[in-house]
Amino acid sequence: MTDNADILSARGVSKSHLDHRSGHPVEALRDVSVNVGHHEFVSVIGPSGCGKSTFLRIVAGLDRPSAGEVVVAGKRVSRPGADRGMVFQEYALLPWKTTQKNIEFGPLLKGTPKAERAEIARRFIALVGLTGAEHKYPHQLSGGMRQRAAVARALANNPAILLMDEPFAAVDAMTRQRLQEELAAISAAEGTTVLFVTHAIEEAVLLSDRVVVLSGKPGRVVADLAIDLDRPRRWQDVRQEPKFADYCAELTRHLAGTKP
Amino acid sequence: MSEAVSPSDSTMLPRMSFRLRLLDVARELLPFAAGIAVWQVLSSLNIWPPVLFPSPVSVFWAFVADVKSGALPKAMSVSLVSLAYGFLIGAAVALPLGYLMGLNRASRNFFDPLVNLLQAIPGLAWIPFAILWFGLGQGAVVFIIVMSVFFPVLHNLLTGIRLVQPVLVEASQTLGASRWAIIVHVIFPSTLPNLMTGIRLGIAFGFRSLVGGEMIASTDGIGYQIFNAQQYFQSARIVVGMLAIGIVWLLLDRLVLRPIEVHTTMRWGLMREGIENT
Repeated sequence: MTDNADILSARGVSKSHLDHRSGHPVEALRDVSVNVGHHEFVSVIGPSGCGKSTFLRIVAGLDRPSAGEVVVAGKRVSRPGADRGMVFQEYALLPWKTTQKNIEFGPLLKGTPKAERAEIARRFIALVGLTGAEHKYPHQLSGGMRQRAAVARALANNPAILLMDEPFAAVDAMTRQRLQEELAAISAAEGTTVLFVTHAIEEAVLLSDRVVVLSGKPGRVVADLAIDLDRPRRWQDVRQEPKFADYCAELTRHLAGTKP
Repeated sequence: MSEAVSPSDSTMLPRMSFRLRLLDVARELLPFAAGIAVWQVLSSLNIWPPVLFPSPVSVFWAFVADVKSGALPKAMSVSLVSLAYGFLIGAAVALPLGYLMGLNRASRNFFDPLVNLLQAIPGLAWIPFAILWFGLGQGAVVFIIVMSVFFPVLHNLLTGIRLVQPVLVEASQTLGASRWAIIVHVIFPSTLPNLMTGIRLGIAFGFRSLVGGEMIASTDGIGYQIFNAQQYFQSARIVVGMLAIGIVWLLLDRLVLRPIEVHTTMRWGLMREGIENT
């Protein structure tokens, strides 16, 4: 199951924590194993509280597993690092940095020279369609633009894998569809390796090469479905595809079998 | 790329015409003019004798006389030097201690009870020891100001550190930020709004202690001048001293503190003028 060519290999990850009120241990994740190959886009879906975000945080190194291990690009994860870029639902842009300075932040931390940083920022600002907003502060951007900036910031750091925690949950429906299509196009064009967490089935199918389904409380892997749809994937085309509906139906069945 | 952008572009101050600027100045002066008008009316009613309620006109002439004699500028400069020393020393201790307590649990647990105990003690309560340790004069006054500035700066800085959004720290960690980089790029700018509040309160508390301290523990400065004028029943000079403090504060606020806020916390959208437009 584990393959040395995998960028991410999570083996037997379990997580328990003490409930504050009862004092009893709560099992959030049980024996979760997920692999993500080079250039692969993998989504993890599951009901609320299934521990999918906890799993992503463990991969990021922001939380520690109670058991099991996570290996990214051959190195065992013990703390957060620049090899695992993360995009948060709440954008998490630094309010005191302009779009450009936010995107330059990762390269700055690596000691990249100023001119080179500006060049990197220019490229990724153009990639996510933020040209013209370079010198605006996050509070001057719409939600969709903020999330574009956050994606650009993560990509500009050239991570081995991009981790995304329900990144489009906070934007309006129209913007969300456009951002989903753009992410599908960008990740395909850039060959980005992505681990994407969502509770939206259609979103997962549109974006992913594979979708992993977690059951609820504790989170366990109950299905791992390859999505074989042509790219580029756009909503108007994908919706016409019978296979798209089949995938969604199959994932819905897996989710229905899981406890909420 | 047609998403809505928030209309307020606070980084660009509008270029105003001369007439609009004049209107702006008038709007700023209006509250002061109103205050002086009420004051003038009350004093022309002759309800109280001038020694209890000096008129604006008598205060103006006392001000002119005090500026001409050099007494007011000298007293004010002595006081401002005391305030500057007191503020700088107090802040220079409070800032590193605040970041240490905010970022390190062991030092927080150790210092918190001590700070909590000491912060209830007014700066003026240190006057007796200030005089015993430093003698009558500027040293004692500076010490009292230090004790008054220290706690509001520390307390507000600690609040600011507690309000840092964890997701900003985590996002920076996933970009490869070291602990030091997080302090410089995330914690420090995050704490600026509260730090500015602490600095404002620190200076305001410093002024209070300055005047009180000079009245008791010194023979110079604006506080001493107010106290001294009372001894000679020079009521108008008392008001001159009081107003001078207010005016110096306004200048400090307008020329130093507000510009800092406009270029940092307001520009970043962390702070606004008010919430009437929401």
